[in-house]
Amino acid sequence: MSKRILEVKNMHFSFYTYAGEVHAVNGVSFHVDQGETLAIVGESGCGKSVTVQSIMKLTPTPPGKLKQGKIEYMGEDITHYTQKEISSMRGKEMSMIFQDPMTSLNPTMRIGHQIAEGILSHENISKEKAKQKAIEMLIKVGLPNPEKNFMSYPHQFSGGMRQRVMIAIALVCNPKILFADEPTTALDVTVQAQILELMNTLKREFKASVVLITHDLGVVAKTAQRIAVMYAGKIIETGTARDVFYDPKHPYTWGLLDSVPSTGVQSTKTLLSIEGSPPDLFDLPKGCSFAARCKYCMNICREMPPEETVMANGHKASCWLLDCRAPSVPSQKRVSRVSKLNVKEAAYVE
Amino acid sequence: MSNDTLIEVKGLKKYFKVGKNQLLKAVDDVSFSIKRGETLGMVGESGCGKTTVGRTILGLYDVDGGSVLFDGVEVHAQKGKEYKALTKQMQMIFQDPYASLNPRKTVSAIVGEGLDIHKMYKTKAERMEKIYNLLELVGLNREHANRFPHEFSGGQRQRIGIARALAVEPKFIVCDEAISALDVSIQAQIINLLMKLQSQYEFTYLFIAHDLTMVQHISDSTAVMYLGTLVETGRTEDIFSKPLHPYTKGLLAAAPEADPDYEMSKPSPILTGEVPSPINPKPGCRFFGRCNVAIEICSKERPALVPVDEHHLVACHVVNTLKSEV
Repeated sequence: MSKRILEVKNMHFSFYTYAGEVHAVNGVSFHVDQGETLAIVGESGCGKSVTVQSIMKLTPTPPGKLKQGKIEYMGEDITHYTQKEISSMRGKEMSMIFQDPMTSLNPTMRIGHQIAEGILSHENISKEKAKQKAIEMLIKVGLPNPEKNFMSYPHQFSGGMRQRVMIAIALVCNPKILFADEPTTALDVTVQAQILELMNTLKREFKASVVLITHDLGVVAKTAQRIAVMYAGKIIETGTARDVFYDPKHPYTWGLLDSVPSTGVQSTKTLLSIEGSPPDLFDLPKGCSFAARCKYCMNICREMPPEETVMANGHKASCWLLDCRAPSVPSQKRVSRVSKLNVKEAAYVE
Repeated sequence: MSNDTLIEVKGLKKYFKVGKNQLLKAVDDVSFSIKRGETLGMVGESGCGKTTVGRTILGLYDVDGGSVLFDGVEVHAQKGKEYKALTKQMQMIFQDPYASLNPRKTVSAIVGEGLDIHKMYKTKAERMEKIYNLLELVGLNREHANRFPHEFSGGQRQRIGIARALAVEPKFIVCDEAISALDVSIQAQIINLLMKLQSQYEFTYLFIAHDLTMVQHISDSTAVMYLGTLVETGRTEDIFSKPLHPYTKGLLAAAPEADPDYEMSKPSPILTGEVPSPINPKPGCRFFGRCNVAIEICSKERPALVPVDEHHLVACHVVNTLKSEV
């Protein structure tokens, strides 16, 4: 088994506002092994970003507060690290790429200095050497004219180039884990494909693990080995990418997969959408938080939150339908386009 | 012009002056038409001029060349009362539901504004009745009429934006990235709503988006734009099943699908580089710098949009030479 880099156990995180307590994360547990990509998927406001930001202690406390839970990094409990302790880890052990490359770089600092800043704060080397390393990094992320770009400012770069710079900053100190919070949402599809490719290559080169936060299931399919689906601050289903995509168990996952039309096949004319909107995080329902939008909602769903059911391959889902007493529902297995093509070809040959 | 064409765009040009003696050619010689009751999907990367096309059609921008015919009437030749009558038939749904609704107005004031401008009611009661009907049509409640935009979620706001566009009973609606700012499950809701309304009222849509899967789902025909020019147009199933232009191919290959096995079997992205600046573009094909099949003529001469079969048009020298050789 590969080495466990990060383990989060039963994390609860709330924000205390004037309007009351916002239950942003309600009992999230997951782990990340060396060299793998875990994708956290969910709609906006489901707590994806808060989860990873609170691991890196980037959420302001107060108003935020880690109420419960344990965060282990390489077997070491970092739950109650102070800002000073965690800041020595940021960049070196774990780092982050943010969604918006337009606003997450410092507009008044030269690109090269923003990259070198991380090296200088973690490693005891001369400025000259740090510059050399920064230039090497610029080459690795595929920016032309590294010498010239070292002295450029962010406004001279396009969105895709800025995101490359963000990746350079994040990886320059060779962190073991990289959190990527919607790294390609603000980019065009063609640039998105390039950035995802770059992240995959560099992940292999640096032997880093990636936690990818996104709401784009296509991006997930392209990059992730394992998936965690979040809804209203909870992970409702987790498993390998193939398990979650082809044999999903939770009605919310079904809905998410149904709401993306697939290219290649002109589908039926109405998309199956999930009606309604996510619950109010101020006042969560006492049962399953998806009950109000669920087609298969039963009485028990409104009364008690479902337990996590563990299936083969570490595939887990929290839904009352998986209880042995629940009525059976139509199978939601899906077939990959690749195997569909193969079937078609096979039929053609016959 | 045949009677079933609602929008006819001919040689549309829209330039913006930037700095000294510099021209940003946002839209450069674009022609297409949309049939009554159909949806044209317009795709392309950001900065390729999709939005400018939409806005110019509605007369929000003046033209620098070419013309737009709406139901046989030239949009940019109309002034005053005539133009106002025309705006009643053409509406727009905007991208950002957070920025496109006036935060200081109630929903009824936002939706009713068009009714007021075009004096579409006799009594106050009739006005409110119309607003209530519109809200119910887009899946909101009567009670929502007196609320303010900040009280709604993104999906609900987009529904308000749709109700506002529908208020004046238009024939043609430009959906400018109307779903880009929304979550996937909400996107599907809005797409379903737009399609339901189309089948009820026979609207004609220009659906501008960068999400290819949604465009494939909603549109009858598709136009692919690159840097102010159309590179390929045709029936949606043709564009998606047998794309001809290298840019269309690259764009389709770049869009990831929710199917891990398929994604893993796909080769790495075809398109490298980024969209160059549309300011003072070089002569020749706009796609020349990023094209992997370019030949000599591509750097000198701009390819024209020529038909490959009845509905499928492509602007590419390489495709044309191959075709003439066959």
